[in-house]
Amino acid sequence: MQLTPKHNIASALAMASCSLLSYQALAEDQAPVNDDWNVDAAIMYYGEQDRVQAVEAIGNVQKSFGESSLLDMKIVVDSLTGASASGAVAQSDSQTFTRPSGNGEYTVAVGETPLDDTFQDTRVQLSANWQEILNPDWTVNLGVYGSNEYDYLSLGLNAGIERSFNKNNTTLALSGAYTNDTVDPVGGRPIALSEMVFRGDYDGDDAYQAAFDATRLLGDDTKQTADMMVGVTQILNRNWLMQANYGFSSVSGYMTDPYKILSMVDGNGQSHGYRYENRPDSRTKHSVYILAKGALDEGVVDFSYRYNTDDWDIQAHTLETHYRYYFTPSLYGQLHLRYYQQQAAEFYQPFLRTDQVLPEYASADYRIGDMSAYTVGLKFGHRLSGGHELSYRIEYYQQNPENNGTEIPGQLNNHDLFPSVKAIVAQISYSF
Amino acid sequence: MASPCEVLMQIDDEHIAMQMLNIAVDEARRIEQKYSRFLQGNIVWQLNNAQGKAVKIDVETAQLLKFSQQCYQLSGGAFDISAGPLMNLWRFDGSHQVPKASAIKSALTLVDFSAIDFTDSKLTMPAAMSLDFGGIGKEYAVDSTAQQLSQRWPNISVMVNFGGDIACPILKEDGWQVGIENPQQLDNAAAQLTIRQGALATSGTTRRYFEVDSVRYGHIINPQTGYPVENAPLSVTVLGPNCITAGMLSTMAMLKGADSEAFLTAQNVDFKVFR
Repeated sequence: MQLTPKHNIASALAMASCSLLSYQALAEDQAPVNDDWNVDAAIMYYGEQDRVQAVEAIGNVQKSFGESSLLDMKIVVDSLTGASASGAVAQSDSQTFTRPSGNGEYTVAVGETPLDDTFQDTRVQLSANWQEILNPDWTVNLGVYGSNEYDYLSLGLNAGIERSFNKNNTTLALSGAYTNDTVDPVGGRPIALSEMVFRGDYDGDDAYQAAFDATRLLGDDTKQTADMMVGVTQILNRNWLMQANYGFSSVSGYMTDPYKILSMVDGNGQSHGYRYENRPDSRTKHSVYILAKGALDEGVVDFSYRYNTDDWDIQAHTLETHYRYYFTPSLYGQLHLRYYQQQAAEFYQPFLRTDQVLPEYASADYRIGDMSAYTVGLKFGHRLSGGHELSYRIEYYQQNPENNGTEIPGQLNNHDLFPSVKAIVAQISYSF
Repeated sequence: MASPCEVLMQIDDEHIAMQMLNIAVDEARRIEQKYSRFLQGNIVWQLNNAQGKAVKIDVETAQLLKFSQQCYQLSGGAFDISAGPLMNLWRFDGSHQVPKASAIKSALTLVDFSAIDFTDSKLTMPAAMSLDFGGIGKEYAVDSTAQQLSQRWPNISVMVNFGGDIACPILKEDGWQVGIENPQQLDNAAAQLTIRQGALATSGTTRRYFEVDSVRYGHIINPQTGYPVENAPLSVTVLGPNCITAGMLSTMAMLKGADSEAFLTAQNVDFKVFR
């Protein structure tokens, strides 16, 4: 057999195969995409009804170096404005408070929950993480973290190691992190449980300033956090996987919120001044987390449960689920439900009593009180040509603080001491 | 296709992975149903049972016929999808029967692609002739599947592997690692290739052959002699831009017998030959 000119066969076949395969090909131009880079950008709005509003810009860049190395860098800039609950209780008379800086006062109307509206901050947060796949069984990662706002600086390091077994069906992970925070509050750190002073009680500015300074400590203070986590991920079958984690965290240092106060009330519920809160300077936390995640015919679903406990006596349970449904291969909708329930810290009190001895630690911050919260969220994601993705998320979040069993005296019964906090989260993200 | 099929994809989204698999399964099934000569009622069966009458064909079939015609011409007649009557004589089902010379001689009179008359919409061929797309069907299924996946997910690297015929339509920087089976020791890799983009196909007699009087009869039949190709390699693996090109080059190399390596070297393609 004599083949026609030899050198042409391979290219002639390639050309012939192109016309064979192209008859069904759609004329669709695809923009060249560099797969090494993965960029996510998002704008998020968080707004509490009549309280804190935050706008956050998030940028995340991932760059892979070959198959085994991945650099992940993230920047978050957020701007917070609005008012947050100071911890004082509502009264049947209007109330006047000294601002945290000591300069100026603000007044809260009859029956209203006292909110401190001086709250305003811009935070910049940077983090970078390097992940290295050493071999099919071992992966390690190392990261740094820093965030800065007007009165708070946080710097951290973290590292982790993962080991795969059983043909990658089982993964064990161990990670640790260390963070050092520096707190330098506006107006200085209040002395524990000291009384708020008022300009009106003093004849001159100097006398007032001396009295104010007497409630303050000089300089900043720090807080150290060491975290450790061990986890196991197990692939159950081709559709389901499970994950279980145990986390341990030890915090020491300044954990008091320098802007939170407690009302001093008498047996009629009448307020006689305010004291700055005080929290213990050490805290040990444990958490257990279990997740099941599954691929369905037309979507993805997960369920998780988290239990947190600490030596402040806060115990919390979180149930959460996401269900993602693909309307088309490029469009999905996702439902998010979350329920959270928390038991108060042992030193939480909604107010202090003038007729009782001052405790060592006290805080009226509803965030460490008895509380339940739920989230209902919807997200839509749309895959665009060239692998880009646009997604929109909207969530409704409600916190329902509850009385931890404190007896409510006199006029306080006329007011809502545990008002709900309602918030909306809206986010637009773009990945390319 | 009577061989293990798999699709590997570089993605962590299980849902998309499932969609990709579904497309691959559907396409492999569709092509098998349409072009297997072992199934009754499909287009190949209609053509082979037309008894000289014209049969309507669709665009896809016409394109496959055109491609087969080009392969027939480029191979100087060594590759011929009308070799069905010969294939029927050579059974590799364990019966270990060398067909009678007279049967081969008469079958050869029914093998002639040039006697087939076809247009974009119909085909006519002499009664008793028959077509067999087995020589290109699997590779075509691989390419067609790869094409569908790459058009829908242009950024997800995939490897479509239907029984060792492989296509990787999207560039994967660090490549897919593919082992080439050792013909002396089946199910073991004798060599490893890295495919960043492109395709790979293997022709061989390692799994389909029989021996009579210590003569090894492989399943690659020379349609011009009616007998298995002499001095054919145990297997030929070729890298190409797509699977059907690689498959055709490896088949043609097998048909070249002792000259396989020389043929492939002249084609300026990457290949691996086992003897």
